[in-house]
Amino acid sequence: MPNFWNLSFGLAKTEFKLRNEGSYLGILWYLLNPLLTFLLLLLIFEDRLGKGIPKYPLYLLLGIIMFNFFQQATQESVRVIWRNSVIKSLNFPKETLVMSNVLKIIFSHAFELLLFIFVLIIYGNFNSGILIYLIILFFLFIFVYGFSLMLASLSVYFVDLNNMWTFVSRLVWLGTPIFYAVEGQTRLGILNLFNPMYYFIIVSREIIIYSRIPEMWMILGMMIYSFLFLITGMFIFNKLKYKFAELI
Amino acid sequence: MERIILDNVSKKFWIGVKKNQNSLQQIISLISGREPKKNFFALKEVSFSVHEKEIVGIIGKNGSGKSTLMRIISRIYKKDSGKIFSRGKILPMIGLYLALKPRLTMKDNIFLTGLLVGMSRNEIKMKYKSIVEYAGLGNFEDTKIYQFSEGMKQRLAFSIAIHTDSDIYLLDEVFEVGDEDFKKKSAETLRKKAEKGVSIIFVTHDLEMIKKYCNKVIWLEKGKIKKIGGKEVVEEYGKES
Repeated sequence: MPNFWNLSFGLAKTEFKLRNEGSYLGILWYLLNPLLTFLLLLLIFEDRLGKGIPKYPLYLLLGIIMFNFFQQATQESVRVIWRNSVIKSLNFPKETLVMSNVLKIIFSHAFELLLFIFVLIIYGNFNSGILIYLIILFFLFIFVYGFSLMLASLSVYFVDLNNMWTFVSRLVWLGTPIFYAVEGQTRLGILNLFNPMYYFIIVSREIIIYSRIPEMWMILGMMIYSFLFLITGMFIFNKLKYKFAELI
Repeated sequence: MERIILDNVSKKFWIGVKKNQNSLQQIISLISGREPKKNFFALKEVSFSVHEKEIVGIIGKNGSGKSTLMRIISRIYKKDSGKIFSRGKILPMIGLYLALKPRLTMKDNIFLTGLLVGMSRNEIKMKYKSIVEYAGLGNFEDTKIYQFSEGMKQRLAFSIAIHTDSDIYLLDEVFEVGDEDFKKKSAETLRKKAEKGVSIIFVTHDLEMIKKYCNKVIWLEKGKIKKIGGKEVVEEYGKES
């Protein structure tokens, strides 16, 4: 297994280098995307949807960067097998391609997290809750990895998944309470019970922004979803991986 | 001692075919992008074995199943039927130079490919100088690969592969791109490896190389073994094509 991590980190490093290759702003882009989304949404919604939400700017920014991690990692995972024709030349653990993709995104997530901490300090809301985020991030990581395994392997068989997921992930973005609150909207509330990102975001907000202990079922939901997706993802990927080299 | 044994191994693919379709079927194909397909045997009931210290050459026309056979042995493809046995670590080198990342420097590529073939970071560091020197690319360590010629890429890939410890090397058309000097040098390296007990299978269209270096020759035609034997197989193949 040491080879698995060695290779995953090595591939992630490569991908990271390639992503910034020849770019002038380089890693600044990582911050620009969430920052501009944040400022725009804040401008539009602060006096409307965000009116009844305490500490709305923090509420909004945390939602954006957490969802960003999920969305970027999954959207790239759809293409990750297609982009690596090396699987036709060499025999190596193909899971590392998916793992390296998630590692790469978590690296840029770290930059966004720094931005969030900066804003926390500005609003005088910085406390030890942010340390607990590391535990939440562990579960989020497991969830995103499992989900990516599913998308990466299925997309080799169903090419349409690429287009479909771009669209569906946008719908999930709108359906998740990122720039609004779900309270009082029964139908949306019920729908969100099936949305793992809902649990991760709510639990994080409760702890980091509001210094409250989240409800137990929310914490449990978060953990159950992460392991459920990890196990399902590993199972599907394992079943399908033998044909990858033939299909790309 | 046998290193590889193949017993009645077959592999089929679904391939696209032109078929008489009615207009409705054509419209469906057009919209969905899916074409009619049929079964095609890339390998049919192939059996042979490879011993240690053996250098085996595989010849045959394009599309005769040579690369598929290499991928089956290295488990990149899964066989459909038959049995495969292998003992020891296998290093496939099938179009490896195409897998190099064009936008990375040679140095980064060596580290990446090294990891992919199963070396540890320390091992790569130790062998790095030797890899660069063997490929004869000493002045290009920080050059991005997209500026390399095909021959340079091939040399680099070969050099990385040859620096990887392995019991079985599977080389697919590695002699087709490099220049004569490098070809000789790499063939000699392979011969020395084989003397030490390694097994080597290589695919090439260069019949002289086969005659010079192989103990065993396999002639593939349409996925089947047409002839298997010594250098006389090359002569026969040469006459027919």
